[in-house]
Amino acid sequence: MVDLSVDLGFIGLKNPVIPASGTFGYGEEFLPFFNLDLLGAFVFKGIYKNKRMGNPPPRIQETPAGLLNSIGLPGPGMKELKKIIKRVYQSTSTPIIINVCGETDQEYLDVAEYFDRMEEVAILELNISCPNVKSGGRCPAQDDKHTYRLVKQIKQSVSTPLIVKLSPNVTDISAIAISAEEAGADCISLTNTFLGMAIDLESRKPLFSKIVAGLSGPAIKPLALRLVWEVARCVHVPVIGMGGITTGQDVLEFILAGATAVQTGTINLIEPSASIRIIKEIEQIMKEQNLMNLRELRGTLKT
Amino acid sequence: MKEETGTIVENHHIQNEYYLIKMRADHVSKQGKPGNFIMVSASSTLEPLLKRPFGIFDLNPPYIWIYYKVVGRGTRLLSTLNPDDKISILGPLGNSFPVLENETILAIAGGTGIASVYFAIKEYLKNNKVSLIYGAKSKNDLNFLHSLETISLAGLYLYSDDGSIGIKGVVTADIKKIINQHGITITISCGPDEMLNRIFWIIKDLKTDDYASLEAIMGCGFGICQSCVVETRNKEYKQVCTDGPVFKMEEIQW
Repeated sequence: MVDLSVDLGFIGLKNPVIPASGTFGYGEEFLPFFNLDLLGAFVFKGIYKNKRMGNPPPRIQETPAGLLNSIGLPGPGMKELKKIIKRVYQSTSTPIIINVCGETDQEYLDVAEYFDRMEEVAILELNISCPNVKSGGRCPAQDDKHTYRLVKQIKQSVSTPLIVKLSPNVTDISAIAISAEEAGADCISLTNTFLGMAIDLESRKPLFSKIVAGLSGPAIKPLALRLVWEVARCVHVPVIGMGGITTGQDVLEFILAGATAVQTGTINLIEPSASIRIIKEIEQIMKEQNLMNLRELRGTLKT
Repeated sequence: MKEETGTIVENHHIQNEYYLIKMRADHVSKQGKPGNFIMVSASSTLEPLLKRPFGIFDLNPPYIWIYYKVVGRGTRLLSTLNPDDKISILGPLGNSFPVLENETILAIAGGTGIASVYFAIKEYLKNNKVSLIYGAKSKNDLNFLHSLETISLAGLYLYSDDGSIGIKGVVTADIKKIINQHGITITISCGPDEMLNRIFWIIKDLKTDDYASLEAIMGCGFGICQSCVVETRNKEYKQVCTDGPVFKMEEIQW
């Protein structure tokens, strides 16, 4: 019997597969497809303090092996989300992760503190890739000092374990990861989407109203794998890897690169039960390779 | 709503870029209602990445029919499928047209919009009077005319932009006249946004109840990606995949 469990230090998960924010709704949409108890954990769609409409359409464009999105994080606001969390909590014992967003540091703090008070919330994931209205639209993730300041402030105010989710759209991701760790992050997850854009030749305009958009899907897997490898080498806290994962083999590659757990993203939109298939594939490969547990494999990349 | 693997029975090339697939799909064929759609992928390699949405053209368990026009990579690949080939399906999805009895219904279809109203028309004919306005660019874009002539419609009005079949003009040309003539109480429409927009402004002051099935670029089809939004009159976004695809026309900001 292979052991799929992983230990993030602050929490143990029954397996390393966690559907990512924005690709898994609020979990309950997937109840027609599988039992949420089968997952390692799952992340709710990112939440701001107040209700948001999101961006005007078009919001997505398919690219070769990828998906560009400019959804704009629509959501019901944190008070409405609280009701949803209470409802979903009734249907599963799997840890619920809330993805915390903010247009200002204060908003991040308000949202984090609000969910810190809910026993149903196991973990907070700080989405530091939100455009910050007080930094001219730059997001905290693009500045190691801002990342440090924000994470420090939140860690001082909340007791729920905190994952900091990094953006790949930086020159030196290690510097940001180290800042987050030094500020007290319990875990680092990466990567968010890669900035890209699409142009409509006929109108000679950008396809998306915000001009740039985020690229996800299998197209970014090699890019994400490199970043996870780089970050895992320079921080001591556990790393959750993500970017274009579609198979159990992909997961084991991220674990070899140093990830303790992984998040599945775009594939959840295409194949709702993908995370369950992926868990089975991991188990199958472990059996074939005589691996008793995932610790044996983590970070053992031969270079 | 379920993930299932369908089996192609026939991928009939109707004419030009138009095809009609008959496939075995046990779950969708039992659960599907008029107005529902399915997400389909003909690829086993995640290329193209996303499934594509198609209205259920018709069903007769364990079979369903999908009418499509080849417009891009997804539909091109679909057109290469042969009998016994497998196809990945998610469905049935979305809401459906209302259940009606003893009404006098007008269906309005533009181009491939017929794909989303044909099944509804057949169901409605059991307990209602139904007329159809059906138009497209030319006779090469208007299909199923033989079937439409045999299903006892109260009226069938064909339009083409080039006059190659039916009346030369757009489907909206005589809507008011047809509504008055038949005493229409309900309209259902599907077609390009521009056509639906024109229909709305023409019939908004009439006493008919008006429904439209909307088309949208979709990522997932079941409410997760939130990409297929449409703006409503009270300045909110609704999702075509889960709040629709059928909307009361007055709900939408035209």
